Amino acid sequence: MAQNFSNKLLVLGGLIAAFVIFAAALTIASPRISGESADAPQAANATAPTQSAAKPDANDQSKPYQEAEYRTFPVVGSRVAIWAVAQLHLLFAAFVLAVPIFAFIVEVIGYKTGDLRYDRLAYEFTKLLSVSFSLTATFGAFLTFMLIILYPKFTNYLMSVFSPTFLPYVLLFFFEAFFLYTYYYGWGKFHPLVHLGLGLGLNLVGTGIMLIANAWLTFMMSPRGVSDAGAVLSVKDAVFNYTWMPINVHRIIANVAFGGSVAAAYAAFKFLQAETDEERAHYDWMGYIGNFVAISAFLPLPFAGYWLAKEIYAFSQTLGLTMMGGAFSWLFIIQAVLIGNLFLAANYYLWLGMGRVDGPQPLQKFIKYLLFGITLCFMVWATPRSIIATVSEVRAMGGSAHPILGYLGVMSAKNTAVNILILTTFMSFLLYRRTGKVASVPWAKTGHAAQLTIFAAAAFIVIFLGVYGYFVEATVRIKLSVPQVLSVLFAMISITVVDIFLFRGARKTGEVRWGRIPRISQYVLIFIAVTFTWLMGLMGYVRSGLRQHWHVYGVIRDRSVDAFTPTLGFATKVVSCTVLLFFMLIGVVFWISSLHDRPDFERQPRPAGARRPEAEKA
Amino acid sequence: MRVPLILRIGALVILTTGFYTYVGQMVPQKEVQAPQETNLNNPDLSSADMAKIGRTIMEGKGLCLTCHTIGKTTGPFRFPDLAGVDVRAKTRVPGLNDVEYFAQSMYEPTAYVVPGFPPAMPPINKPPIGLTDKEILCVIAYLQSLGGTSTVTLKTTHHYYNGTSAAPEATAK
Repeated sequence: MAQNFSNKLLVLGGLIAAFVIFAAALTIASPRISGESADAPQAANATAPTQSAAKPDANDQSKPYQEAEYRTFPVVGSRVAIWAVAQLHLLFAAFVLAVPIFAFIVEVIGYKTGDLRYDRLAYEFTKLLSVSFSLTATFGAFLTFMLIILYPKFTNYLMSVFSPTFLPYVLLFFFEAFFLYTYYYGWGKFHPLVHLGLGLGLNLVGTGIMLIANAWLTFMMSPRGVSDAGAVLSVKDAVFNYTWMPINVHRIIANVAFGGSVAAAYAAFKFLQAETDEERAHYDWMGYIGNFVAISAFLPLPFAGYWLAKEIYAFSQTLGLTMMGGAFSWLFIIQAVLIGNLFLAANYYLWLGMGRVDGPQPLQKFIKYLLFGITLCFMVWATPRSIIATVSEVRAMGGSAHPILGYLGVMSAKNTAVNILILTTFMSFLLYRRTGKVASVPWAKTGHAAQLTIFAAAAFIVIFLGVYGYFVEATVRIKLSVPQVLSVLFAMISITVVDIFLFRGARKTGEVRWGRIPRISQYVLIFIAVTFTWLMGLMGYVRSGLRQHWHVYGVIRDRSVDAFTPTLGFATKVVSCTVLLFFMLIGVVFWISSLHDRPDFERQPRPAGARRPEAEKA
Repeated sequence: MRVPLILRIGALVILTTGFYTYVGQMVPQKEVQAPQETNLNNPDLSSADMAKIGRTIMEGKGLCLTCHTIGKTTGPFRFPDLAGVDVRAKTRVPGLNDVEYFAQSMYEPTAYVVPGFPPAMPPINKPPIGLTDKEILCVIAYLQSLGGTSTVTLKTTHHYYNGTSAAPEATAK
């Protein structure tokens, strides 16, 4: 009865949704169809609106063709419309590019170890791809149409600069579809090596697509290969612009972190739905792997961010300073809150995970120190250079910077805080890794001492250089972040290498019981996924918004009505709406993917001559 | 009554995004408009008035105060502090008076770089900043007032001033 009602509700809901979508499409299209002729005058000079100009006669056969420079999207305006669609496209694209990377790696591990659990896990990840790929392509097409409709002249310019790149892009897209569907539908149908080859092809083609698209957007930010007036001098230089490679690297890493977190959120959702211990064990493990992928990729992300920022400064100090010291400087305080939350949540999940292991937990006593360190770094990172204060407070402080806390608002303090945060999270992971194990190699004591020494040395270098930065000139100070980053990277790599050998053949003090973890841990995974998504939205905004009133920075001026930088409050509202839309859609993706596991529908056979229960009731 | 899982997850997503939106409202809110060219059609504008306009340009369109400070005495300096800069400008580069030195600093900023600072200032007459020659004269008038007296007028010429306006930026054709 209840099932019957729910089915009817679904049918009714579907009909209403279809009607609403149709009505919305009609509403959006109507002004465009009837108002086309009014767009041309706006194009002539967008800064001096002439929309009130008399409409040309619809029968005027002598009217010359004039290309519109801009058109307006109803209600929210062109910029917000493009912004939301581009962000949704990028979020799905990031997911579709990232999942094959770790699905492939997990499949390789399964193939090498012969452990079928890995193969099942890789397949489970891949199941999410098919629907996401369709949505990525749909939003990509939507974005292209929106650009052509709303920014026709600029889109035309960009297409003329990058005309040689479009056909390879389309070709790669065909290959992407081929590899993706054969990889998914061919699971278990080919020799494992052939299947792995398909996975490799999928990854290579996906990366190729991203590299081409990145060339277009980074050109807008740091143009090269064009004259001061925008004429194309070298397409190669336009592609190999200042920020192209840093964005490529940054996006690959960020995509993996984001994809891992969304896959972990899927596992969390399935864990919370699970009815058997076996299911819980599987999805707990899947969530752990997804989160491990996300955090492993997240740790080097700030370093890729440094490189990107360095290249932005190398291209244009003005652009760099607009980002860090101008209109966008407060955005990085919001970013600090997000990243601080990510670190806290990731560490909390690892600490909760220690409960999976049987027996005593001697390492848990260190958690309080780690928590203290993380909180302290979080507070330093989130401290702004200048403080919002009343006039009397500013006078009392002798400026907008607080006499003591102001010192924590500069890059020397922030670089130090983020490096220590990374080291602390790495330490949490090490503690988790060695829960339920005791190193049994003869050199165990020396190994532990070596690890501790490396860790302490890295922390000392980071803090020392952070303090030293306050006493040197700007030219020296900006170079100090490099040894800070290198010492942290060195510590992470060398300690991991020592750890691998140290715990080879380690004595087990307790078994890992997958699935035995508090349910709150699964909500933490979902929280991490939402925070990652929001962070991507925010950083996408700063990357694009940094150009301010330029379509192509310093070359093609934006003369539309949107050629201003909105408040951060407005920007965060748009980001939040986009994130909510994304999670609604990803919910649909999860639901469609889960249909695969449902039992087939079976119609109940009715005895001959029997009437339907509803009919009887009527 | 047990709240359905989908509602719990939905509430978590909404609360998380709501929290970050709230954080976004807590930081200073400033809408930055695209810069407009300053109206400098009055040829008889006094040096003092030009200095006032120059200060406004430095705070806004010129983006000068994003990097430079005026009167900061302690702490790390991103770029040179400009308090009393006119005194230094008169003798800093042999053969250049203060007007010529200021002009060189803006049109060709890497020609002379103050020791201890990176050669990072962009040419101010070119996009993306793109101040006009007259706007730059106003900035010079203001810089002269920092430690000296403004002497330039809109009729003042210097090595870089050829009487034309700044290079116009392109539009998509």
